[in-house]
Amino acid sequence: MFNFRVSAVLKRELRERIMTKSFIISTLALPLIMVLIFGFQYLMLSMEGDAGTKIFIASEIDGVTEGLREEFAQRSWVKNGDYTITYQTMSGVDFEKYLEQHKSDVLSGKVTGIMFVPAAVLQDKKISYYSKSTRNLNLEEKISRVINRVFIDNYFKDKNISSQDIRYARINVNFNTFKITKDEGIKKESGGNLALAYIFSFLLYISLLMMGGMVMNSVIEEKTNRVCEVILSSVSARELMTGKILGSALTGLLQMVVWLTPILVVIGFKLPVLPVGLVIQISTWQVLYFLLNFFIGLLTFVGLYATVGAIFNTPQEAQGAVAPLMMLIVIPFLITISLIKNPTNTLAEVASMIPFASIIVMPARMTLIDVPLWQFLLSFAINVGTILALFPFAGKIYRIGILRTGKKPQLKEVVKWLKMTH
Amino acid sequence: MHALEVKNLSKRFGDVQAVDDASFVVPEGSIFGLIGRNGAGKTTTIRMMMNIYLPDSGEVILRGAKVGQDFRSSVGYLPEERGLYKKMKIIDLLMFFAEIKGKKGDNVKKRALDFLEKFSLTDRQNSKLEDLSKGNQQKVQFIATILHDPEFLVLDEPFTGLDPINIDILKDIILQLKKAGKVIIFSTHLMDFAEKMCDHIAMIDNGKIILSGSLKELKGQHARRNISIKYEGDISFLNDLPMVEKVTDFGNATGVRVKEPGQSQELLKLLVGKGVIVKSFNANEISLQEIFIEHAGSEEKEEKKSEVQYV
Repeated sequence: MFNFRVSAVLKRELRERIMTKSFIISTLALPLIMVLIFGFQYLMLSMEGDAGTKIFIASEIDGVTEGLREEFAQRSWVKNGDYTITYQTMSGVDFEKYLEQHKSDVLSGKVTGIMFVPAAVLQDKKISYYSKSTRNLNLEEKISRVINRVFIDNYFKDKNISSQDIRYARINVNFNTFKITKDEGIKKESGGNLALAYIFSFLLYISLLMMGGMVMNSVIEEKTNRVCEVILSSVSARELMTGKILGSALTGLLQMVVWLTPILVVIGFKLPVLPVGLVIQISTWQVLYFLLNFFIGLLTFVGLYATVGAIFNTPQEAQGAVAPLMMLIVIPFLITISLIKNPTNTLAEVASMIPFASIIVMPARMTLIDVPLWQFLLSFAINVGTILALFPFAGKIYRIGILRTGKKPQLKEVVKWLKMTH
Repeated sequence: MHALEVKNLSKRFGDVQAVDDASFVVPEGSIFGLIGRNGAGKTTTIRMMMNIYLPDSGEVILRGAKVGQDFRSSVGYLPEERGLYKKMKIIDLLMFFAEIKGKKGDNVKKRALDFLEKFSLTDRQNSKLEDLSKGNQQKVQFIATILHDPEFLVLDEPFTGLDPINIDILKDIILQLKKAGKVIIFSTHLMDFAEKMCDHIAMIDNGKIILSGSLKELKGQHARRNISIKYEGDISFLNDLPMVEKVTDFGNATGVRVKEPGQSQELLKLLVGKGVIVKSFNANEISLQEIFIEHAGSEEKEEKKSEVQYV
């Protein structure tokens, strides 16, 4: 099967793909774009944009006023001047008047918000907040925690309860999560593998779509260039298809290795670029499996895309047939995203063992949980079986399609091709 | 032994019988022409010979054995629809096409550069194909066809789309290759070229081989019944003669077809006897075009025949 003709086609494919500006740019740019996207998200989240917030707090209880003053004074965002908070003890009636007088200050932005703490707060913790925008979650989250603390202190002050008890009541439940694995016992889980599973799936998804599209266009180009007839006088359609698919799959693999290297270097050498506490556990074996599985996936999808390319004369004509093919990649990718909420969900478990979906879902599952060996083997067998079952048909369509020009063929005709002898 | 033997090839595409039980032989060291109109089945026959299409039935025998990959490696094929990788450099392109025939290395490169020089393309060896003119692209395609020094050359309509200068270059090379002992097979619908270049021909019409053999013999056979005359006087009496089948006026000459070979001397006697001044009497001249029309009928009849969809 593999001979000098296949190797010549393969070498040409590799040279054609790898030595191009677009390949080099896309290989280098994708990680950069990913870093930019993640970095930008991080930046957006940390940019709260609440510097210069001015809040006036009126309280009916003197103790609360003082308590708030003390507590807020300790916060970094008050210390650094992002928040300016002024306090005053006043009665409800006085507050009504105050509010009436200072409404305009809120509207003009002189004051961000006015808060009123009634005496009843020690029974029901209900306070009023007046501002232009009431949907500022950031502000609510920051302030309410501090205020709650002051209320609790005030509430228990006269009730003869030790400060230790109060501290206990104040702590939230804290989940420490551990992952039980067969071989390595109990390990503390930090969400690192979740990120890794996401990155793996994303790269897989992008690469399959990219390489698939590339091969399809190259097959269509060979058709429109009419170069395939000359080639077919030396190389059989099967050899040509094999060389093309292998060449593209190796290109994709090379690209993936380039993409994964920085990630694996960071993990392998425990470089201190990851956020503190984020632990990623992945074995060499898993990485190798990932690459092997990816290669199988490339063969499958690149083969399908090449077949579709052989049927049509222009990329536009092929669009309709490419859509269902893309679904075979996109849907499994969406399923892997569902893993983030619950890595053991049944949908993903099933999807990881059905043809096509398995290629994308299984690696993500394996990164997150210990997949039973039988499931892993089954998935592998299914993927290899898919290729073996698919290629005789794909090869036939390819062989007939590449020499066929003229009007866009209907599905019915393509089915007829399968019965033809040439 | 024949260099190549085509035996009972048939190929059907849907409702169209593209090639119907075609048989012919290509002798060693000859230039062989496969002649027929557009859509007659030439390209389909050639594609089956090249193993690009699998025949429904029949086989192609190469020097006594069924054609396989050996034939593919020793053949240079120029398809009717020309095409190469547009974005590749000329020299890389040529090396690739030699490599899929199993030829590579410095010798091949040297040969490629020699050919480029012959076609005055040396300075373009590192250009991309798409940057070349159409004519130059054709030259590159032809170099790609012969670079691996094939024993067989299969050229499907090689002269279409070439300007007269390139046609001459191509003719010279084909004749050189013939001298070097190569077997050259080409298809054409241009009878003039076939007549000038071919030693052997096969005529194909509606997928059937209607005539095949050595061009000289075919001409001889047909010429015995076809006489071309130039004369002064009245020859209208010929139409009433039982031995005359047909009289055709070609303008400066008149063709007369007799019913039986060997009646030409009788015809000459009659003409002289009737007082016609015979200026030239040629009983050995018939054009391939005439032979073709005699066997396949005239062009108009077939005009509306649709092209085979898969060609």
